[in-house]
Amino acid sequence: MHDGQFDLVTGQLGKEFQTTAGCLPILTNVNLQLNRGDSLVITGPSGSGKSTLLYLLGLLDEPTTGELQMLGQDVRQLNTAQSAQFRNEHIGFIFQDHHLLPQCSVLENVQIPTLPGRGANSATEKRARMLLERVGLTERLDHRPGQLSGGERQRVAVCRALINEPEFLLADEPTGNLDPHTAESIGTLLLELSQEQNTLLVCVTHSLELANRFPQAANLRDRCLDLSNTTASPQQPAS
Amino acid sequence: MTTVRLLTRSLLYYWRTNLAVLLGVVAATAVIGGALIVGDSVRDSLREMSLERLGKIDHVLHGPRFFREAMANDLAAHSGFSERFESAAPGLIMRGTIELQTKEGVNRVNQVNVYGVDQRLWEMTRHGEFAPPTGDEILLSQRVAEQLQYSMQANDARAGQVLLRLELPTSIPSESLFGERDDLSQLIELNVRDVLPSELGVARLELNPNQQLPLNVFVSLSTLQDKLGLAEQRIRIPAERRVEIIPAKVNALFVSANNVDGAAPLQQIADGNAGPDGVNTLNDLLDASLYLDDLDLNIRKVESKERPASAYFAIESERMLLENEAATAARTTAKKMSLSQSSVLVYLGNAFRNPRIVQPAKKNNGTERGYSMYSVVAGLELKPEPPYLPSETPFGPFLFAGDGLNKSLGERDIVINDWLAEDLEVEAGETIEIDYHIVGSHGELPEKTVAFRIAGIVQLEDESGRPTVAADRGFTPHVRGITDVKTYDDWDEPFDMKTDRITARDDTYWEEYKATPKAFISLEAARKLWNSRYGGQTSVRLMKREDKSLDETIAEFTPAFLANLDAEKTGLVFQPVKFTGLLAASGTTDFSGLFIGFSFFLILSATILIVLLFRLGIERRSRQIGLLQAIGLTPKQLRRLFLGEGMIVVVAGGLLGMYAAVGYASVMIYGLKTWWIGAIGTQFLDVSIRPVSLFIGFTISVIVALAAIWWALRQLRNLSSRELLSGQVETTLAEIAQRRNTRSRSLLLMGSIFTLLLLAAALFGFVPSSEAFAGLSWQVVVFFVVGILLLALILKRLSQWLQADRVNAVQGYGLFALGRLGMRNAARNRQRSLFTVGLIASATFVIVAVAAGQRNPTQEQPVYDSGNGGFTLVAETDKGILFNLSTTEGRSKLGITPEESTSLEGIEVIAFRRKPGEEASCLNIYQTRVPTILGVPDVMIQRGGFKFADTPDENPWSILKEKNEDGLIPVLGDMNTLMYSLKKEIGSTITLPDKEDPEHTLQIAGMLDGSVFQGVLLMSETHFRELFPDRDGYEYFLIGPRFDQSTGQLNSAATSSEEVRRLSQFLETRLSDFGFDVERVVDRIAGFLAVQNTYLQTFQTLGGLGLFLGTLGLATVMLRNVLERRSELALLQAVGFRKNHLRWIVLWENAFLLLCGLFIGAVSALLAMLPHLRSTGANVPWKSGGMLLFGVFVAGMFAAWFAVAEAVRMPILATLRSDD
Repeated sequence: MHDGQFDLVTGQLGKEFQTTAGCLPILTNVNLQLNRGDSLVITGPSGSGKSTLLYLLGLLDEPTTGELQMLGQDVRQLNTAQSAQFRNEHIGFIFQDHHLLPQCSVLENVQIPTLPGRGANSATEKRARMLLERVGLTERLDHRPGQLSGGERQRVAVCRALINEPEFLLADEPTGNLDPHTAESIGTLLLELSQEQNTLLVCVTHSLELANRFPQAANLRDRCLDLSNTTASPQQPAS
Repeated sequence: MTTVRLLTRSLLYYWRTNLAVLLGVVAATAVIGGALIVGDSVRDSLREMSLERLGKIDHVLHGPRFFREAMANDLAAHSGFSERFESAAPGLIMRGTIELQTKEGVNRVNQVNVYGVDQRLWEMTRHGEFAPPTGDEILLSQRVAEQLQYSMQANDARAGQVLLRLELPTSIPSESLFGERDDLSQLIELNVRDVLPSELGVARLELNPNQQLPLNVFVSLSTLQDKLGLAEQRIRIPAERRVEIIPAKVNALFVSANNVDGAAPLQQIADGNAGPDGVNTLNDLLDASLYLDDLDLNIRKVESKERPASAYFAIESERMLLENEAATAARTTAKKMSLSQSSVLVYLGNAFRNPRIVQPAKKNNGTERGYSMYSVVAGLELKPEPPYLPSETPFGPFLFAGDGLNKSLGERDIVINDWLAEDLEVEAGETIEIDYHIVGSHGELPEKTVAFRIAGIVQLEDESGRPTVAADRGFTPHVRGITDVKTYDDWDEPFDMKTDRITARDDTYWEEYKATPKAFISLEAARKLWNSRYGGQTSVRLMKREDKSLDETIAEFTPAFLANLDAEKTGLVFQPVKFTGLLAASGTTDFSGLFIGFSFFLILSATILIVLLFRLGIERRSRQIGLLQAIGLTPKQLRRLFLGEGMIVVVAGGLLGMYAAVGYASVMIYGLKTWWIGAIGTQFLDVSIRPVSLFIGFTISVIVALAAIWWALRQLRNLSSRELLSGQVETTLAEIAQRRNTRSRSLLLMGSIFTLLLLAAALFGFVPSSEAFAGLSWQVVVFFVVGILLLALILKRLSQWLQADRVNAVQGYGLFALGRLGMRNAARNRQRSLFTVGLIASATFVIVAVAAGQRNPTQEQPVYDSGNGGFTLVAETDKGILFNLSTTEGRSKLGITPEESTSLEGIEVIAFRRKPGEEASCLNIYQTRVPTILGVPDVMIQRGGFKFADTPDENPWSILKEKNEDGLIPVLGDMNTLMYSLKKEIGSTITLPDKEDPEHTLQIAGMLDGSVFQGVLLMSETHFRELFPDRDGYEYFLIGPRFDQSTGQLNSAATSSEEVRRLSQFLETRLSDFGFDVERVVDRIAGFLAVQNTYLQTFQTLGGLGLFLGTLGLATVMLRNVLERRSELALLQAVGFRKNHLRWIVLWENAFLLLCGLFIGAVSALLAMLPHLRSTGANVPWKSGGMLLFGVFVAGMFAAWFAVAEAVRMPILATLRSDD
């Protein structure tokens, strides 16, 4: 909660793409109100706009219509540099592809997001070690991504997402490339860490196994977010 | 869908990559084809220059001898002439000095070619609108006018008259007794009518092939003949009661051949009238057109009223001594005609003395008894049997007073006439002494004395008072100013006479008998005493045929004699100058090879660029390749497909490159005419395009490019379809490469220790400075090895550093932290980064090493064993100086006062004889055959000095004294001249006068390194005089502080620049009559080095261009890196990196690689060149070199901008989500 407000508020959020055939609406009237500690999973068929919504929330893409407030701030008003700074300070990302830098060690990869901001120092390193220890990679600190398994890489990506103690943790198919067993452990880790770090977790996935473990779930269908499965605090619009 | 269609589609779809590869091929073709065109252009331009400067002149006869002007007409009138030749023109070619009086003083230009021309010769030249000079007009070539600072403006004080100083030609060699040793120069006042622009062929008229502008002036032939005493003369000889007609003379004959097409191939010209065959015909015609006058010969009829039966004729020479070739021809002819002949060698005895009466120590005691002055001794051919002296009429028999000879004359036996016997109060069996001069090599005339035993006394008159054979005046040849004057007082002798010692009896003898010998010795004895390189006789006397009159005999003899005389051996021979010039143009310095060498890095960079670009294209399509493999295409089919695609691009690039080659060549030719003018010294270069060169350029670059593409494709063999489909091409390849490269660190450690030890040894003097090879000392070699090792070691260390994990790349904050990450990115593909750094480092190494190799010898001090040999000045003259400039006596003969002489103490002047030849220094880009040859005096051989290369000997100069059994004459030459101009090495031979008619063979016995002797060959003076007897005096001088043999030190007092300048001015002024042209040795070496330095600059510039192209390669690598990492870069943006952060990271990585390459290359090169950098003559262009490297860095950073732009252009979302 932020000054009595929700940490994440979307109002009538919509996204259209201009194509040669005309305007192609992807999302319409998406309304969300979430707070830190919430963990929402969004499911839906391919092409339904799940990832688009996630990237809108992650300030990686701009909505066509509607309102987007994060931590009480109208983030649509931010320019590119401010958006980048906001992302760096408040948002952590986890992708289907881990996108680790192969030239850097595990410990270094985790600290990468600290560079644009306050920089990497002993404190960030300590936190990185702590996170990596938490995910069971203490023995792998100096290893390169190429020397890790897929699950291990994704765990490093999770640590990287949390290094700057973000308020928001956005995950895009985090288990998409993993076997069921590893996927389960990553899902568990994600939810546990989200709670431990008191972040607002939004996860987009096809995986029902993963979705079922989230306390809050929403389905994206016909460009609209169906929150009927929501069991906790996600708020429906007032009208 | 067909393969062709797939190919076309791919070509068009990936047009950006293909365009980049195409441009790489265009660059390679342009550079290779352009270099070949440069070579063609230089060759064709030189050919054109030869044709321009010679105009219609095809053959030239020119030598030290003056012959009849009418020979031109005689030759042309010959029936065989008009079949092959168009016209013949006489002319004069002299060397002189030209002076212009200005308000500030006298402007002087030495070593000017003075041509005496008339309308006939002028017609043969390319003279534009200019008419030939007449009267007292002189035409100056533009270069002379410029050096003289002459202005054609009428109101300018510098317009108008000039003074031309020329040597008066003489028949008698100055190094013979009656030769003129004093200055005989003639000052001619002339009015400048025109300045001939350098573009005109005539302004560049020069017989030897040389592209440098000659210093030419043109004067009317008749004016020059008048002034030099070469016009027709009628001389009354009262003593002989006749008028002698001396025909007008010239020293050059120019012939224009029929149907010479300058554009024809060389072989066609060689076979035609302008070639060797044509010149042979011409020389045959010349032999048939010769007159005795042309060879300075004359036939003297000797008739005596008193002895009508004793009429005979003698072959004599204007030079006094009859050349051996002429004597041999006379004897051969006489033999064929069955004429008796007898050779004579006469010499002047200064004093004849009876030692019983006159003691040598009391020669000037005033006594009138027992001696006789200035009389002739004749050496006669003896008979083996009595009466031993010539006995056949008219050469004998001699009438003896008393007994005749009872045995042949020994070496110290003499027969004197009764006049001398009376003067000396001697009888047969007694001893007499004769004083005579010998001619020293420096014009000095030391007097020697020889004693003879009187073997007999001959009578001048018989009992009836008629003159006997002994009274024959015909023994002594006619010497103008001596034999034709009435008294001793009228003698025009070139030496001091003791006239006060001449007795009344001497005078009477002269009046009655003139130069009739007073004594006779054997010809052998005479030759031993007075042998001369000019000839071993003064005349060959020939008897008339019994059945014919004297005139009839002479009329029969003369043509037969001329036919037997080999005119070539007397120097009268036509040379096919145009053909030689064209031949020299075709065999010139290989500019194609030179520019391919200069453009090496351009070609290399272009090739690497092609590889990089093509691989970039392939890698971007790796998934496609994987797919094609997956659907069943074999690797061979795949390679063929991509090779086909590559071939289309390469061939298209090659075709376009042919156009670019013309552009590249044009720029290079422009460079040679402007920025690098020092290399060739001429602006008359034009681009000449030969299709074959373009085709060769095209073929080479296409082959190179296809090989590069094949290599790029070959690397994909190691990848499985799965790897290709996953797109992990580069990572996998890098892993493969890294697996191969698992060398231990011990290699680096051992290498470092070895390099350090080597460096320490070199620095602390443990490496000898003796020669290793090719003039390079061990120190230089060791430093160079250390430099190369350093380069390799730093690269190895960099490789390890990039591989190491201990460096924390994610540390700190701000731009610096991003920079660290950028540097770590360089480790992402270690192999590729190293490849890039290695390439830049190697190119930088070569460019910096070459730049550091520049020398400026003007800063060098005289050093005994260096290129300057310890000398400070070098001088050349228009004509030979006989007197020794190193001695007070010699200097006084040259008009230098004793006071002035004292200021020259401590100065050593070493004089060399000179036989002019082709300019063979690197200043001449024509191929030369026989360069100028210098005769090295013994004093120089003993002194030694200079730096040698590949020449084993304590004092290599002493090799010159040797002459091996095969008759090969050892010569020394400068390494540059031998290797690049003459294309010779130690042991090679050079034949004189030419390969077809070898008379002498020179063998290269040693090589000087970077010396002042560039462009010449050096042989001992002894050999020189044997080979070139006609070359009188010394024309080349080395001047410097005296070298003390005992201490091995140079006199340091005479080396200050002020002292050198003063000495130079003094000598030039005092010896201006000889055209004494002084130059600082260091300046001359600098002039030679200017060529080398210019080449180095050219290499540096083109190498820099190659390096620049290499930075484009780096940019391509960066672009590949960025494309490969697009997902990572997107991730970085996703986690909050701004676009500027990404720019900074990419630029840092680029700068890191670029700086590593530049730094490693530059530092290693400077270390390698340390011995040179520590020398005084080092002239490192720090500024331009630094600017070049900085420019490369800036260009490299700009080029990286493409990668940077790509990095920030990529959409985050699409990249993060894209599978591709």
